[in-house]
Amino acid sequence: MRASLVVCIIGLVLLAVLPAVLPARLLIASIQMLVAALFASAYALLSGRAGMLSFGHAAYFGTGAFATVHAMNAFGGTGLLPTPLLPVVGAIAGLGVGIVAGWFATQRGGTAFAMITLAIAELLHALAPQLKGLFGGEAGISAMRAPALGLTFGSTLQVYYLTLAWVLLSIGLLYFHTLTPAGRLTLALRENGHRLRFLGYNVHGLGVSAFAISAMFSGLAGGLQVLSNEAANYAVFDAGVSATVILNSYIGGVGTFLGPALGAVLMTFFSYAASDATQSWLLYQGVLFVLVMMYMPTGLSGLFGMSARLVRQRGPRVAALVALLALGAAVLVSAGAVFIIELLQRLCSQDYRALASAATTLPPVNLFGRPWPPAALSTWILPAALLAGGALLAMAARRRLATPA
Amino acid sequence: MDAFLFSLLNGTVYGLLLFMVSAGLTLVFGMMGVLNFAHASFYMLGAYFAYALQGLVGFGPAVALATLLSGGVGVIVERWFLRRVHHHGHAHELLLTFGLAFIIAETIKLFFGNYPVDYRIPPALDFAAFTIGRQQYPMYRVLMAAVAIAMFAALYLLLTRTRIGIVVRAAIHKPRMAQALGHNVQLVFMGVFGVGAALAGLAGAVAGAFYTTNPNMALEVGVMVFVVVVVGGLGSLGGAMLASLLIGIVTSLAVGVDRSLADLLAIVGAGAWAQGVGGLLTLKLSSLAATLPFALMLLILLVRPRGLMGEES
Repeated sequence: MRASLVVCIIGLVLLAVLPAVLPARLLIASIQMLVAALFASAYALLSGRAGMLSFGHAAYFGTGAFATVHAMNAFGGTGLLPTPLLPVVGAIAGLGVGIVAGWFATQRGGTAFAMITLAIAELLHALAPQLKGLFGGEAGISAMRAPALGLTFGSTLQVYYLTLAWVLLSIGLLYFHTLTPAGRLTLALRENGHRLRFLGYNVHGLGVSAFAISAMFSGLAGGLQVLSNEAANYAVFDAGVSATVILNSYIGGVGTFLGPALGAVLMTFFSYAASDATQSWLLYQGVLFVLVMMYMPTGLSGLFGMSARLVRQRGPRVAALVALLALGAAVLVSAGAVFIIELLQRLCSQDYRALASAATTLPPVNLFGRPWPPAALSTWILPAALLAGGALLAMAARRRLATPA
Repeated sequence: MDAFLFSLLNGTVYGLLLFMVSAGLTLVFGMMGVLNFAHASFYMLGAYFAYALQGLVGFGPAVALATLLSGGVGVIVERWFLRRVHHHGHAHELLLTFGLAFIIAETIKLFFGNYPVDYRIPPALDFAAFTIGRQQYPMYRVLMAAVAIAMFAALYLLLTRTRIGIVVRAAIHKPRMAQALGHNVQLVFMGVFGVGAALAGLAGAVAGAFYTTNPNMALEVGVMVFVVVVVGGLGSLGGAMLASLLIGIVTSLAVGVDRSLADLLAIVGAGAWAQGVGGLLTLKLSSLAATLPFALMLLILLVRPRGLMGEES
């Protein structure tokens, strides 16, 4: 408990001094990371803790975003709702829509629940561009951050601290929710709803409350994003938004409280770094997700628990060795896979095809600072060797795990 | 009248096509209780396989090969991906197929680019079958419908008239019992999954030439296929057929209706009020066509959760 408290405090200090060390371009990315972290935490309350897999959380994120953009235009950041308080509108809108949608969706469990949430989000996504008054059609709605309380909100720095404050407060509230009886019962809802009903609890009410709280904080996240972007368009209802939050949460691991937030921060950062470096970063994201689903069902945060167990059972020496081997395997395999994917991506690009059809022999591909002739065996030996080396290391790690100490 | 008949026919053909994609999905859903999010990806794979092979072997063989290849990918997915995570539970399987759908779409973008490819009907099949009024009806649409109907008939006969069908149905409804009676349920799962993927691939190979073949086609059809399976009732082939036709025809006909809720309210004298309110009330039905299937699905899930022809759970 004390260790995790120390980690939390170090994390908070890091977040507070981040703007001082980061270049301005990355500060905007950090705001997106914070918003994604809050969205994932809100999502995980429903899908992880309550065990109700939602495929349409973009609906509540988007509702919060549009409510906030309308509030920005209506209030101008003055009077009762100064700019720092505007995300509250997003939260209220998310809560309202969440209660209604949740009341319908939680009537059914399992796959039917997933389908209802999907249908609600798709319905909104299909409807939004038609309702020009409410959602601004295809162009969307833009707004300005008005100065309030002596702050101009003209700089990214002020927006960062505002977002940070809201995200910390919200995640704190979400954590508080896990301590309350309602939060405890949410877990029971996932494990055995029937039993809960026989014990006399209002199962549907509990489900709606979990859904509504999750939608409320999703709406708040949407509001924060609008505050940062100063615009919203119907793309916030896109299936991709729902997909991203699912990927983020499960890659991070929904079994722990901070897992989804961690996953969201890592994946958002990854998307910033990778989308600049390569066109196929979505492929990497998908592969990462499938690998986590297959080999780390508890997500990245589950690694901590796994390694702690390993140390306890086998001693620190074996654990360190296995970790080292596994890390080496991961590095080699990903290097090999990245090489092949990037090579293929360049070989299949339109430019290269035009080039290849004009030339008699296949021209070499420039990758990682040197040319690689695609027809030469030497080009393909390198990734093959990387993959094989990774496989060998993985096998060695497995053998170490299998042999008793 | 001609226009009505035309869009009725178009809707029917689209519905039959939806049925081709959803047939495999509904069987797998009935069997494993898992909605396979990657199912529409097999539809897309079929179209791309056929497009890639068309230049090498010609249109007909390309369609056949694409069907087989999609089925092969389906078998790989079941055997080496889904089965491995089976013991983690349904939610995990659902998420895995979700990730696989992502990977398949991105891999296709990697090889073929993020734009529609030039996959067309061969000129030999590009002629009019008959004329309604002054409009000609394309032969290829009739062909698509024929393929779907033939598939439905074959599948129906296979499931109800053969020994394989008995085993498959037993494995769908009572997998434990089928296993206890000495049937290899794992193999049945793999087979049904593969056949389902192959059927979706066939649909993609046939339809990709008529509609557009692009990396988003799985997404476009995917959600609609879920609607079909949910509305029809899980595991019910007949239900899938009924729901496919219903959705195909309703969306196709709605496009031609330039009426709004306000017009409806005008009958009872509230038209002016509705015009004043605006928003949803003044939207024309034609612009709402895309939302109708989802509204239908929500309605079914809330009113009759087992679907039109599903069994009581």
